[in-house]
Amino acid sequence: MPKRRDILAIVLIVLPWTLLITVWHQSAIAPFVAIRKERLTIRHHQLSDDRVEGRGEAGGQAQDSKEYCASDKYIVEVVRTEYVYTRPPPWSDVLPTIHIITPTYSRPVQKAELTRLANTFLHVPNLHWILVEDSQRRTPLVTRLLRETGLNYTHLNVETPRNYQLRGDIRDPRIPRGTMQRNLALRWLRETFNANNSQAGIVYFADDDNTYSLELFEEIRSTRKVSVWPVAFVGGLRYESPKVNAAGKVYGWKTVFDPHRPFAIDMAGFAINLRLILIKPQAYFKLRGVKGGYQESSLLRELVTLNDLEPKAANCTKILVWHTRTEKPVLVNEGKIGFTDPNVEI
Amino acid sequence: MATRMKLKLKTVFVLYFMVSLLGLIYALMQLGQRCDCTEHDLPKDRTISRLRGELHRLQEQMRKSEATKQPLKQAAKLSPPTIFVITPTYARLVQKAELTRLSQTFLHVPQLHWIVVEDSPHKTPLVTDLLVKSGLTYTHLHMPTAKDRKLQEGDPNWLKPRGVEQRNEGLRWLREDRRAQPGGDTQEGVIYFADDDNTYSLQVFEEMRSTQRVSVWPVGLVGGMKYEKPVVEGGKVVRFHTGWRPSRPFPMDMAGFAVSLKLVMANPEACFDGEAPMGFLESSLLQGLVTMDELEPKADNCSKVLVWHTRTEKPKMKREEALQAQGIGSDPAVEV
Repeated sequence: MPKRRDILAIVLIVLPWTLLITVWHQSAIAPFVAIRKERLTIRHHQLSDDRVEGRGEAGGQAQDSKEYCASDKYIVEVVRTEYVYTRPPPWSDVLPTIHIITPTYSRPVQKAELTRLANTFLHVPNLHWILVEDSQRRTPLVTRLLRETGLNYTHLNVETPRNYQLRGDIRDPRIPRGTMQRNLALRWLRETFNANNSQAGIVYFADDDNTYSLELFEEIRSTRKVSVWPVAFVGGLRYESPKVNAAGKVYGWKTVFDPHRPFAIDMAGFAINLRLILIKPQAYFKLRGVKGGYQESSLLRELVTLNDLEPKAANCTKILVWHTRTEKPVLVNEGKIGFTDPNVEI
Repeated sequence: MATRMKLKLKTVFVLYFMVSLLGLIYALMQLGQRCDCTEHDLPKDRTISRLRGELHRLQEQMRKSEATKQPLKQAAKLSPPTIFVITPTYARLVQKAELTRLSQTFLHVPQLHWIVVEDSPHKTPLVTDLLVKSGLTYTHLHMPTAKDRKLQEGDPNWLKPRGVEQRNEGLRWLREDRRAQPGGDTQEGVIYFADDDNTYSLQVFEEMRSTQRVSVWPVGLVGGMKYEKPVVEGGKVVRFHTGWRPSRPFPMDMAGFAVSLKLVMANPEACFDGEAPMGFLESSLLQGLVTMDELEPKADNCSKVLVWHTRTEKPKMKREEALQAQGIGSDPAVEV
């Protein structure tokens, strides 16, 4: 009997402490773990120091290094915003900034996709690229790529929990790809910008395998609330587009796949004014229980009504964005152990 | 005595437990809160920003002083060699998208001349308008493929070589155009065969500009592997690292080499052989121009991948086809 009590006593002592220590490792309780935080901070600054050499003409530079000490069970975020002006992506004081939110994940074609996307974005003035990786930590591949492009960027990451991606049963439906990443970017925007005195901005969700014409970005810039336009190669059609009446208002959707969705539009077919995002802080993409094709509606429904939509691209008659998809490369000759040197980055 | 001791111990334990629990709850409350890191970060941040700003200013000054020296030099020197990019293209749904993003990449490359050769009996307005709006220096050609050489709807991609007639037409035009120019025979230039669905980084164009005869580099996502590359030893290409038919004379992809203009002008008969077996297209051109040890390795002795052989999926058109069967397909006047 006394033995059992002793054991109970020991358990009662040890258990809370082990829980506490494991929690400490994850979170940061500022007064107590100041030393650990300092080491983390230093490491970050060392990383950014390598960036300095080899730059072209620079108009000016500001580095805003913020560290996020938040730690949820699923989300570990580290944020580094860098504003680097090297070759002209020109920056004007009058143009609204276009914030492009791109979720991305590691696969063989990732570097190629991001490279050609960056080549496109380098032509657009006042562009801010928010790249969110679906990974546990930011990969060196993307970090280096972003640094070398010279664009204004913010590099975030959040990992979609694996069981949500793989399972397909109705009770625990999959989180559509990219949702958590886009939501994280929205959250970052809300925390970085203040609704009252922020610079004018437009938010656009750009996937990394689509093709964007440069005209599109100029059309986006005049968005007051939410603007829409046609997108090619979606919904099994040549293009899907909003229906615009003679008064220039959107009254329906020209699609075959479920045209009765509240917003029957692809992610690449709309842009939202930053102000609207900031004054409605509860609007996010719905994570679970979303039917196929309803993801865009889950966000837009909380922001705007059909009446408020602004049609662009010549009253939705021109195609300025194509929903291209890149083939998965067939890597048969790699074999089981891999034929090529894994150290060479592709 | 014993019970009092026990009781005391019990209360001590309970107290201890409660305190630990409270501490745990406090720690859990701290989760998700932004921590007060500002007093640690800010001074370091500020110093680093300031130093970096100074460094940049100094670098700019250096560059400005160099730039003022350079115009004097450059007046005597010729402008950098032009890169002639020959792109065969054919009409399909994704054509406009592919050419659009290709043009967006090329716009960043100075001294680039884009030669677009359509597989068509005449120039299409889609490509014509695109080239005009692109802002690039371009030449628009067309050359239809003979019917028996053309891939049919259900054929797999590897059945017949594609783009042969178009690339040869590009070479023919280039030779003719250079001959018509005074001093054209000795002009500096580099020819690159760029397919319209690949992905090119900007570095690859800078690497190929210094080509003297034929330069080579790795290509990503080709040949059923992550990348194919020439193997370089002692600054020379000794063999090729590829998983498919490495016994070919030049087992590499079209995107993995560039030829100097001089070499092409000096060999007026050199062109692609449409009758060559599968995968020998590149070799059919290069065999007549250069040997393996004359190849110039680029991309850091062929250790970096600067171009990727991406392929774009054919978009699914089931619903479109169904609508068109009913006569209510999408407006064909809207160009896609």
